[in-house]
Amino acid sequence: MKGFRVGPVSGPLRWRPFTVVVVGLGLVVLAGAVSVARGDFPIPLGQVFDVLLGGGQRGQRFIVLDLRLPRALTGVLVGAALGVAGAVFQSIARNPLAGPDVLGVTWGAGAGAVTVITFAGSLGVVGGTTAAVGVPLAALGGGLVAGLLVYGLAWRRGIEGFRLVLVGVGITAVTGNFTHYLLTVGDVTDAARVMVWITGSLNGRGWEHVVPVGLALAVLIPAALVGTRLLGALQFDDDTVRGLGVRLNGARTVMLLLAVVLAAVATASAGPVAFVALASPQIALRLAGTATPPLLGSAVVGGLLVVVSDLVARLAFGGFELPVGVVTAVLGAPYLMYLLVRSRREARV
Amino acid sequence: MTAVRLQAQALSVGYGERLVVSGLDLDVLSGSVTAVIGPNGCGKSTLLRALGRLLPARSGAVVLDGKRIDRTPTREVAKVLAMLPQSPQAPEGLTVAELVARGRHPHQAWYRQWSPEDEAAVASALEMTGMAELAERTVDELSGGQRQRAWISMALAQGTDLLLLDEPTTYLDLAHQVDVLDLVQRLHRDFSRTVVMVLHDLNLAARYADRLVAMKDGRIVVAGPPSDVLTEPNLLAVFDLDARVVPDPVTSTPLVIPIGHRHRTREP
Repeated sequence: MKGFRVGPVSGPLRWRPFTVVVVGLGLVVLAGAVSVARGDFPIPLGQVFDVLLGGGQRGQRFIVLDLRLPRALTGVLVGAALGVAGAVFQSIARNPLAGPDVLGVTWGAGAGAVTVITFAGSLGVVGGTTAAVGVPLAALGGGLVAGLLVYGLAWRRGIEGFRLVLVGVGITAVTGNFTHYLLTVGDVTDAARVMVWITGSLNGRGWEHVVPVGLALAVLIPAALVGTRLLGALQFDDDTVRGLGVRLNGARTVMLLLAVVLAAVATASAGPVAFVALASPQIALRLAGTATPPLLGSAVVGGLLVVVSDLVARLAFGGFELPVGVVTAVLGAPYLMYLLVRSRREARV
Repeated sequence: MTAVRLQAQALSVGYGERLVVSGLDLDVLSGSVTAVIGPNGCGKSTLLRALGRLLPARSGAVVLDGKRIDRTPTREVAKVLAMLPQSPQAPEGLTVAELVARGRHPHQAWYRQWSPEDEAAVASALEMTGMAELAERTVDELSGGQRQRAWISMALAQGTDLLLLDEPTTYLDLAHQVDVLDLVQRLHRDFSRTVVMVLHDLNLAARYADRLVAMKDGRIVVAGPPSDVLTEPNLLAVFDLDARVVPDPVTSTPLVIPIGHRHRTREP
């Protein structure tokens, strides 16, 4: 096995996962730039880079920096957060179907957001500005509460992947039905807003959306990378893990909480963008040729998936703009199925 | 005098309400190969898991190198004691090299994950088990015997001189059982590892261990050199088995020949 060593710092270095990250990052930048360039008022790609480097005309600077860049950045960051969260969930549950969608986080966030939307709208309890700030906050809270609830209910002298998934399915059903109940109670305009939010949309995302998710990622992604070593040990059966001197429940708890927060922050920013957390780790794993989802690879694939999907959602249907979540589901699902069918192996983590 | 490496002191262990091992005392001497034998459900694996701090003691204690194992940081334990569970599981697609490299976990930190020591330990572990040529294969495409050797390599890479093996020969055909046990013997002889293993095959246990521990109902019935433990009365007491014991023609260790119902002669 190859490795790198710089002074006391050392680590394994495998070329394929490394290449996936580098090439993926290049593609993210390219797709982000195309996304910024295209729209009702197209800007040549070269001038987009000019503006990003501090040049360009005033009008262009406004369109690029204030209107389109925040949206593209939100997409990249949300995708990266979902990718990492999915990779952690799948590694810990040792199940490729584990993810924020299955483990209650997404629908918990949904229930939180929908509560604020309906209460602000038809019921008029919450005012306009409060509602605007309140939706992401309520989503964050709902996601965290649901995630922690699943974790707490699944805890029985330790966490088992299987029980975690089962409890997650239960909580998802409860929060999902609560959301549907609110939809029935609220009026039509609220229901329409709710549907857009629940599908996951990057529409009208400004710097106020970039900053929280950016800050969260700046802290959580390095933390997750430090935890890569733990995830690497957690891939075995419980006895082997503990035999390696890992405090099993402590390690699982820390990594799960990290993933819950990442998923909740991402969902609060863009709504539950479907399939990214599920598909990105599996796509990254196959591209990188590793046995378990690579964290950085999953982040890059997640970011790319969301930005490209948003580009398609904005441009592919003429003047009609789709929520990004529709496209991620339509793009991600068949690709994952193709990979699963083509691969000799079973779906794995 | 040989030092006691690992010790069970009035050890009781169980699952839920049920006590599986009760009030058991055992000394594992440095440089010995101990085989734990006994009928199914007698608590062999439970004892081994308790010795490897995978199960907490209900009462009594496990003592490793003079210190209570439950009061020693688990990571420090992992540097002197490696444990191979009965049916270890790795994700599909993991290569032998990656598996063995994970054995270095207790010696690593987040910033130091592939030191020269790690590399050397992994290479020598693969060398000792003859798995170096198969290092780039994935674990799931190996044969049963090769897979077991890969897992043993991982335990070796941990760099411990104490190895606990829970039924390392299960699911292997006889040739591969002998192959794995030959490896264990070599680790003991050439690399002075202390080994405690749970074995089902009494004749192989007699050949490869220098000390047998026979258990029944969570207690040790008899312990000592194979020739003292594998006697006809002991086999009856421990396994409820009518058997003849003759010298093994190859190694002159005891060879157990079960009599079975049809051949039982009613002698006084």
